[in-house]
Amino acid sequence: MDVFALFLQGTVTLFSDPIGILIFFGGVVGGMLFGAIPGVSMLTLAAILLPFTAHLKPEHGIMLFSVIYCTGVYGGAITAILFNIPGAPENAPTAFDGYPMTQKGQAGKAVGAAVMCSALGGVVSCIIMMAATAPIADWAISAFGPPEIFALVFFGLAVAASVGAKTFWKGWLSILLGLLVAVVGLDPVGGIERYDFGMPYLLAGIHFIPVILGFFAVSEVFVQAEKKVTGAYKAPKISVDFPSFGELWAHKIAVVRSIIIGFFCGILPGIGATLAAFMGYNEAVRWSKDRMEFGKGKLEGVISSETANNAATGAAMIPLLALGLPGGALTAMMVGVFQMHDMEPGPLVFINSPDLVWVVFAAMFFANLSILFIGFLETKTIINLLRIPFQFLAPMILLLATVGAYAVRGLAVDVIAMFLAGVIGFFLRRSGYSVAGIVLGLILGKIGEQTFAQAMQMLYFEFGGFFGRPIALGLLIAGVLTLAGSIYGAFFKKQPQSQSQPQPQSQSVS
Amino acid sequence: MFKKFVVSTGVTAVAMAFSASSVFAACATDGMPDSMDGPDGYPARALTMIVPYGPAGGSGQVAQAMAEAVTGLTKVSINRDHKPGGSGTVGMTAFMASPADGYSVLEHIDDASSAHALDSGRPNPAEDLIPLVTSQITFSQIYIRTDEDRFTDWNSFVEWVKAQDGKASIANVSKEGSMERVTMKFITDATGMKIQQISFDKGAPRYGALAGGQVDALFEQPGDVRKFLDAGKFKPILTILKESPEAFADVPNLTDAGMDFEPLLRFRGFYVHKDAPADRVKWLQWAFQKAYCEESYQAYNESKFMTLIESYRDTAGSQELITNTIAQYRDVYKEMGLEVK
Repeated sequence: MDVFALFLQGTVTLFSDPIGILIFFGGVVGGMLFGAIPGVSMLTLAAILLPFTAHLKPEHGIMLFSVIYCTGVYGGAITAILFNIPGAPENAPTAFDGYPMTQKGQAGKAVGAAVMCSALGGVVSCIIMMAATAPIADWAISAFGPPEIFALVFFGLAVAASVGAKTFWKGWLSILLGLLVAVVGLDPVGGIERYDFGMPYLLAGIHFIPVILGFFAVSEVFVQAEKKVTGAYKAPKISVDFPSFGELWAHKIAVVRSIIIGFFCGILPGIGATLAAFMGYNEAVRWSKDRMEFGKGKLEGVISSETANNAATGAAMIPLLALGLPGGALTAMMVGVFQMHDMEPGPLVFINSPDLVWVVFAAMFFANLSILFIGFLETKTIINLLRIPFQFLAPMILLLATVGAYAVRGLAVDVIAMFLAGVIGFFLRRSGYSVAGIVLGLILGKIGEQTFAQAMQMLYFEFGGFFGRPIALGLLIAGVLTLAGSIYGAFFKKQPQSQSQPQPQSQSVS
Repeated sequence: MFKKFVVSTGVTAVAMAFSASSVFAACATDGMPDSMDGPDGYPARALTMIVPYGPAGGSGQVAQAMAEAVTGLTKVSINRDHKPGGSGTVGMTAFMASPADGYSVLEHIDDASSAHALDSGRPNPAEDLIPLVTSQITFSQIYIRTDEDRFTDWNSFVEWVKAQDGKASIANVSKEGSMERVTMKFITDATGMKIQQISFDKGAPRYGALAGGQVDALFEQPGDVRKFLDAGKFKPILTILKESPEAFADVPNLTDAGMDFEPLLRFRGFYVHKDAPADRVKWLQWAFQKAYCEESYQAYNESKFMTLIESYRDTAGSQELITNTIAQYRDVYKEMGLEVK
């Protein structure tokens, strides 16, 4: 049977079962809501629902989680755009331009673009997933080991530093600060204790979610509070004017590029949607003629980030279903759902449970499509949250951020880290450093350190080993060229007064 | 290819049959009373179970399975509080800071024993805590890809590794002092082979490294790679036990391979504060030990290959297991030249 016939069969199975339909729409709405509410996430919903899936049919349980995954990744974009609070780490780059758009009275346009591009990225990713799960999974794990992932991270950091902050040096200092924070705790390979100052809780390291909440949500509350006190505060304008087809079509290359980047990051175990979103955004900046406009409310910033993170969702299902390798926390929970039904994801699922696989594929496809319709309806209502006066909104944001920071690991140190990041972010944002660069350094630093150590072990501690791996070598060369270009620009090109600034928002008090 | 698949699946089938038979055998706590009232209305509220690892891993899953079994048996709710990080240190610290009132229990693995062996300042699970039950004990194996053609069994693997002059690799969790690293030291000392250990702290990238050909072999416990065994992707070439369990009778063990060292086991169990009221501890011991024999928990253990060797230890048995393990690690650490505090 060909792929299309199997897809139709999965669709019929999905929509011919009233319980299945109920679970599907419950997952769509639940994923969007939990993704959109700061402090909780799709992971919270998934953790709550996990024990109950034991009482569902296996296909319903897996389908529910896959639907939550698709819509949850999109849901976090709403709060990132409206309040500068990414619902999830993968929505952080969306806030770089989405929130400035809200400040300029273009919230509807930003949310509309997020809706359209999340749906598009997710749908295309699903189609590729359905067409070629097994061969892509085999290729990915053969071609991409720790040396290649490290090279990808190096390239990502080089790109990020070249576009961040007011100057080249401040961009790299921001990245390096993020890398420094990333090394707190046990080293990921040898288990050596670092920078814990005798405090056992610091052995767990500084998690990036509290840092993101601090830099984005808490510091934004401080900035707006200062404006309120000094009389400079202006309530954001409400608008529901969605982007036109022409505006979206003008960014078709950014969409295609982000789909490729998102899909690629999604299939690598342990990488996933967060790196996808950052890489999608960085590449958009790198290839744009209007670099200077990024961070100030450029539609392309929202488009590139949201397309990439949803493109990673379908891709993440490929190693899970074909090989039993979960790429992130939610797909790891899906393994738990499989196991509750005495099943294991992996090659045998395609042989033993083809019906389940195609119901899940169909559900993910339609979940991404439903983002388009339900997302627009949801947007019309949620945008009105901007009408809440700041003095009521600010405590709610701080409360939700505090709950969100604590909920990650149940550690008070995470709440402290969040408020510290908020205070530091408040001052850094007015001094030309890139808080986005710090966050990126923190996220990529943890992955990069681990994969570098693994790569060196794998290459028997010979740097020359990278030359024997074409993909790793290509990415390293691209990273070095990017870095060289940035250094050249910093020394030999005349610097404009204010460079591009992919910050949480660009209207910092000056 | 098909033959390899059949052989591999056959191993799994034998293992499943063996483990199923053990489930239907009399369970270790069948002699205990079916119900027990808590002292003075205890527990009057839900218990809290601190789990020092994330919800999706082996510890998270066993904590969930045990919590559900205890709740099913006693109707007392258990809230799981995951505090991952620091190789279990963060969860242990949080537990030690919680009140010793019998409402907090801890899930932990043998890492707590090896951590104490290296640094006696860290809690000794056999003395500073009271083990309620050890509910999972398993052994390790070395795996290769089923379609591997450079070597096919343990002997040819050792020969091949020696011929590579150090340019061979195995994926494991090779943190300093870990069970994996200590066991690999035993093996490399005994065989004279030199192999590079690549440390992956998460399962998926570790298994992906073998499946994708990034490494030559994998050190793991059978329950964690069951799906790869079922799918015919991986096959065990060495069981790190002195005697092979019936399920893996065809796989050479340490004795077959001419190695003479005491194998280290991976175990997971549940604990309460040593200062918790004695009558409450007694009730908790009954609840957790009895829950081990609940059908739901046994089914879970079976699905994870945790019935191939005896997985159950009561309080005294757990204390003996932990004490012996600590002594064994301490000897090895000294021999390895590590600083034992």
